[in-house]
This record gives sequence, C-alpha cells and structure tokens, in this order.
Amino acid sequence: MDDINDQPKPEKQPLQAWLTFAVFILIIGGFFLVNLVAPKPEILISERRLPAKLPSFDADSVLSTEFMEGFEDYAADNFIFREALRTLRAITVFNVFQMGDKDGLYQGAVGAGKIEPIKTESVLAWAAKMERLQADLASQHDGLKFFYAVIPDKSLYDARSLPGYDPVVLASLLEGRLKAYTSIDLTGALQASDFYRTDLHWDQALLGQRSGDVLDVLARALGCQSRLTYDFVVRDAGEFTGVFPGQLALPMAPDQLRYLTNPVLDKVVVSYLDPRTGEFVKGPVYDLEAADGRDRYDLFLRGPQPVVVIENPSATTDRELYIFRDSFTSSLAPLLASGYARVTLIDLRYIDYRILPQYVDFAPNSDILLLYGSQILNNPTILLIQ
Amino acid sequence: MLFSSITFLYWFLPLVVALYFIIPRPRGSLLWRNLLLFVASIVFYAWGEPLYVLVMIAQSLVGWASGLLIDRYRGKPVVRAILVISLVIELSSLLFFKYTDFFINNLNTLFHSQLGLLALALPLGISFYTFQILSYTIDLYRGKVSVQKNPLVFATYVTLFAQLIAGPIVRYSMVEEQLTSRTHSLAGFVKGVRRFALGLGKKVLLANTFGQLVVLTQAELHGGGEQSVLFALLFLVGFSLQIYFDFSGYSDMAIGLGHMFGFTFPENFNYPYISRSLTEFWRRWHMTMSFWFRDYVYISLGGNRVGKFRHLLNILIVWMVTGFWHGAGWNFILWGLYMAIFLILEKYFLQRLLEKIPRFFSHIYLVIFIMLSWILFESSSLAQAQELFLTLFGFGSSGLAGIASLYYLKSYIVLIVVAVIGCTPLPARAIGWFRDKTGLLGKRTLTILEPLFIAAILLVVTSFLVDGSFNPFIYFRF
Repeated sequence: MDDINDQPKPEKQPLQAWLTFAVFILIIGGFFLVNLVAPKPEILISERRLPAKLPSFDADSVLSTEFMEGFEDYAADNFIFREALRTLRAITVFNVFQMGDKDGLYQGAVGAGKIEPIKTESVLAWAAKMERLQADLASQHDGLKFFYAVIPDKSLYDARSLPGYDPVVLASLLEGRLKAYTSIDLTGALQASDFYRTDLHWDQALLGQRSGDVLDVLARALGCQSRLTYDFVVRDAGEFTGVFPGQLALPMAPDQLRYLTNPVLDKVVVSYLDPRTGEFVKGPVYDLEAADGRDRYDLFLRGPQPVVVIENPSATTDRELYIFRDSFTSSLAPLLASGYARVTLIDLRYIDYRILPQYVDFAPNSDILLLYGSQILNNPTILLIQ
Repeated sequence: MLFSSITFLYWFLPLVVALYFIIPRPRGSLLWRNLLLFVASIVFYAWGEPLYVLVMIAQSLVGWASGLLIDRYRGKPVVRAILVISLVIELSSLLFFKYTDFFINNLNTLFHSQLGLLALALPLGISFYTFQILSYTIDLYRGKVSVQKNPLVFATYVTLFAQLIAGPIVRYSMVEEQLTSRTHSLAGFVKGVRRFALGLGKKVLLANTFGQLVVLTQAELHGGGEQSVLFALLFLVGFSLQIYFDFSGYSDMAIGLGHMFGFTFPENFNYPYISRSLTEFWRRWHMTMSFWFRDYVYISLGGNRVGKFRHLLNILIVWMVTGFWHGAGWNFILWGLYMAIFLILEKYFLQRLLEKIPRFFSHIYLVIFIMLSWILFESSSLAQAQELFLTLFGFGSSGLAGIASLYYLKSYIVLIVVAVIGCTPLPARAIGWFRDKTGLLGKRTLTILEPLFIAAILLVVTSFLVDGSFNPFIYFRF
C-alpha cells in the first residue's frame, strides 16, 4: 500500500478501514503462507480417504487442464484446518440456515443418514444386469431357484418423511422385471432402531431377535427357516463410529459394535478368496483384528471381499446358498449359515463376473439370492458384470 | 479460474495483491503494474482455457490494430471499411465458437442433412470481452474515446481478470483514464474488500446453495420423480434467487477487485427484483449489457426516432439478439421475444396502469412474469419448458405437493426468506439507519462489526469451498 502516502493530502483513515484491511490480509495472506509451509496430511481420517496429491506439472497436463483441476482438489484437500472448516460448514448449514441436510446427509433423533432418492435409469440398469446374470446362471446350472431382496435405506424409517428411498417407486420400476426371481420384501422387516446411528448398516444384534425381522422374513422366503438355529449370544466388540459423523463433520456419540454367536456359528469354517494369489484362505467369521482397522464394520467377514465361503459342518441339509451381495450381507450371512451346508458370498464390486467360474462352482438345486442395499441399485456401474 | 475457488482466494489473489503493491512506480508510471495485471490475467484465463487464451489475445490485437488504423485514416472514406472489417472479425470469432453448432443443427433439421457438429468448447467470457473490444472500436470511430497506442495498456483493458469472465461489461470509455493514471488508497482498497466479500458470500453461500435446490428439483421434475406444483414453484424460486445472487455476486466481486487495484467499474445490478415492471427490471438487471445493446444496437437501428412499426421492429430485433447473446438455443431467442413482447405491451398499454395500481400489485406482476421467463431461460429444450409450465399450473403427475417438495420447502424456507430480504435494499437501509440513529456508539459498533462480519464471511465461504464441490457459475456459459 505504498500509494497511500502518495495522496496530496492524505486523510486520516478510520480505524474501521484499518481493521477491515488487517482482517482481509490476515485471512487471505495468512492462509496462503500457512498452506505453503504446513505439512500435508497423509490421510483424511474422518472422510476415510487419501487427500488429492499435487498433480504433475507438464505441457500435457496443463493443456488438458488436468493440472488446474487437480490443483483445486489438492488445495482443498490439504487446506490447513480442513476438519474445523468442514465442521464450520456443517454448523452453518444445520444451525444457521436451518436446513434439513448437508449434501443429502442428515442427522435426526435416530441417527444420521443420507437422502438418496431412487434413480430410475440406474435401477433399470441394475435390473437388466441382474436379468442377464440369472439367464446366464440358469443356462449353465440345473434347478437353481432365484430370489432377490432390496435392503431399504434407513432414511425410509425416519419419522420426518425424508425424500429418500421409496419402496413404492422401486416396486413400480421393477414391475414386469426380474420375473425369474422371487421377490422378498424387507420393508416391514426393519425399523429405524435396527440401524447404527452413525452408519448406514444394520446392527447384526437386532436382525435375528423377533418374528418378522430380516432374518425371519428371508429364511421363510428361502424355505430354510426350520433349519436355522436362533440361540444367539450377543457379544460386545466395543465402540463403533460409522461413516456419517466423518461425512457430516459433526461429532456424534458412537454406536456399540455387537455380534451374534451360537454353537453352530462357532463351528463354521470360513474361506476368503485372496485376489492376489487366487487361493482361498481360512479365517474367522468375526475378525477382531480387522475390526481394529479404519472401518470397524470389517469385523463381519473381514469387510470388502470378492468371494467368501461359509461351510457349516453341523448342517442337516446339503442345500447351498449363493448370495450376490454388498456390505450389508457381511453381518447377515453368518446368521443364515445354519440353514445351509454352504453359503457363498459373491461381491461383484470386487470380482468380475466373467472370471467367477474360476473360483465358484454353482451346485445344482441351490438357492441364488440377490441381496443389495438401495445404494447399489442407484450405482449399478460398480458391479463388474456386463 | 473461478473467483469462488480455493486456488483464486488463497493462491492467486494474495500473490497478485502482494506483487502489485510491492512493484515500484517510477515517476508514477503504471507500466509495471499494468504488465503484472496483464500477465496475471493471462494466467487467470489460461487456468481454465490454456489454448483459447490465444483467441483472446488475437481478438485484442485485432481491436488494438483496428484502433490505430481508424485513428490514422480518420476523416477518410476507408475508415468505415476498417470499422466494418474489425466488427466482422470480432463478431465472426464469437459466432464461430458460440453459434456454429446451433446453425448446423438447424440446417440438419431443415434440410434433413447430416452435417457434423464442431462440438467446440465455448471460450470463457468470449461474449463479454468481444463486447468490450467492440465498444472501444465503435466509440473510437464515433470519436468518443482517444486511440490507445500502447498494446499493453489495451490488452490490460481487455484481459483484466477482475471483469474478464463475466463482466460487468466495462466500456473502454469508462476506464480510459484509469488504465494509465489511477490512484490507490486504503479507503479504496477496503471498499473493494467489502464489496468483494459481499459478492463472495452471495455467490458461495446463497447462489450455490440455491443451485443445489435447482439441480435436485430439476432431477425430480424431469427425471420421473415428483411432478407437483410446489416442486415447480420451488424450482422457479430457487432459480430466480440463484441467478440473481450468482450473477450479482460475481459482479460485486469484480467491482470489488477493481477497487482494490484502483479501478472503478460500472454498477451492474440495482435491486432488480424490487422493480414494478419489466421495463424497470431491465434498467436494474445486468445494466452494462442492457445499456450496451441500447447504445450500440438499438440506437444504431434508429431507436425510437423512427416510425411506430420500425420502432416495434427495433425492440423485437434488439431483444431477440439479447436472447441469442445469452445462449445458442431457440429457448433463448424465445426468451428474448417474450421480453420484447412484454416491453412493447408495457410501453404502449401497461406502464400507466402499473404506475397507478398499488406498488404491491405491480411488484407481484413483475415477480410472476420474470419468474415465468426463467422457465424459458433455464430449460434445456422447449419440451422441457413445456413440461415445467404444465406442472406449475397443476397438470403434473403429482398434484399440489408431495413428500419431497414439502421436505425441501421446509429445508430451504429460512434461506429463501433471508435471500428474498437480501434482494431488497432493506439490509443496506437498516445499516444506514443504525449508523445514523445511534451516533458515536453506533459508529464504534460498526467499526468492530464490519471487520468481524467480513472475517466471518471469508471463513464460512472457505469452509464451503473446502468441503463442497458444488460450485457452478451460470454466466460462464454466456
């Protein structure tokens, strides 16, 4: 501001001008300097992701604007006090603007969640993929029985009538589709308290407790209800903070991570496909070591896995169940294990359907169950099947 | 580069401000500072358009060279040819990049031909900087401004990052002196800070948030979701507020940045939604564009100093061109036509009535018809506009309201009320009243409150930029 003194008769500047000037320079210049020298985070813990790296600077990346676009992501991800600023935004949205959600994320009396309305085109694309899957399996294997169930999003059970998942809309979209499958409606089998307050998943300890709950409805539809053993014991694995507090950038009281065991579950043998070696390795149903990682929900069948096989030596049947699934099934599948000789979980997000025959032999006269959360129906492109 | 980005706020701006005021001014010369502004502006533009920066420089050179020739051959018959050639070159660039595919599409429809589209990206701000260059060339021809012989000064005028992308459309005559002789002061800089922070808040906190409402209402209305009257209304209210705070916020930021660097840019908005007629609205909305079309197109066609029929035709032409300037689509041309029809109706029939009836009713008239016009403006096709019209008037599939529309009404109601008040002069009047009525105590309170308010805006805006990714800018596409 060298020119201030260049004025012929410099007026005395009011304090207000000096203070405003100081505030502006302090914030714009201060953040510039601090961001320049401050160490960059290796991981954005609350968001469970890596920060954007400084993009490479060369002629190609500049001419394609990749550098510039990448730089904005880098600058935002590595901004000093990022967490505090994210919280400031959340407070502004919820407490000042009094809005119901922040980018679709809401918090209410029964916990936090995300509003995700059904996407018509996505659901139809998902249904088309599942029809092709059924046609392919049925053409190669005899006696398969096909079922599908969609796990309603927890927003459906919020008392505030959120404009998220709508089973009526879904039903109308799927009308006349997936004809070779038997539909299983889980809408009435769940309630708000069945889900973790801080996460989108359900609490396993509440799935097999009452008549008409998820386990009961599925078992009845699959015809394995009489074979299931229910004498579960609830065990506590400590506190669990799901994805929503981090996404919301607001503190929330943690949930309790609980899991169910019984004598049958104690004896089952679980094999996990190691995608690096192509070999199956044995492991526990509930992996307490995995639960100490970034996502404690990985306690259940080690979280994201392409193929998991649960063998039940106590089985009174030779019937097998194959579940095409997402993360919800990790906690549910062990509870179905007592109804089958073998339960195979296939997650098409992590294994391409075309190479599946290398690792999974579909036994004749088995049950095939599609069990997907509504989030997958809205994003079917992540399923590795044509 | 967007003003409302981390890159601009916390990398580009501090560096440019620091360098600008560090650079010495030997014997009061602004040469080095102009050079810095030019280089910074090129970086600013190239950040989003690394190749099209050459188009902008080429157009600037044409404008500058035309100026030299017009000045040299002034008074001779050839000068008119120089003007025409210059206008043709400048407008050809705009037409080529912005309208070629529109014409190809229409030719294909008309003659069932299969001409391939160019699918060119639109150079950012081309509509704005082309108009600025044209204003210089025409004003020079008319003898209203002096020739600028220094290419750096001329290029600094055209490319100045503060107003490059989306206006205000700063005519050369408005900054002619400031380009070579401008003063800098703390008062001017702080005035700029105040205006910039206000614009930033309007853009990031209000426009972007309403933009999210617009996107989700559009997804519901046109994506097979809830097609209710309330949702259509929410879309219209959301878009009306988004476009106002988006564009006026950007203009505020541009004017504020101008003040910081010693420039005074023209005002672009003057509370347009408090107007009582569309005629008044266009004296308050995007004023630099309205006045540009008035001075360089309408008056050139004869304005109102012609017969009645020709006058009506002039209005129709000017507004269809105005609509077409906003976008290469029939919806924009129809939007311009809509405006022309209402302006003609007001001029010959409605204006007296609107002045006689209570202010409240004339405000309602303006709000209804300007909001309806946004349907044409924002729709991506005429079919989409028709669908929205039908839904708004109760012919949608979901009746008056549904779960989603009721939820979003409740979710946005506080912000809508705040934004509607923000569209009026009430907040400014309230501050003025406080300052005038409370004496020394009030002044002292404002002394503390203003910097605190600006700090709060900057921090909250930063939190939105760090955390959110929704940051469109409507007028970029123009």
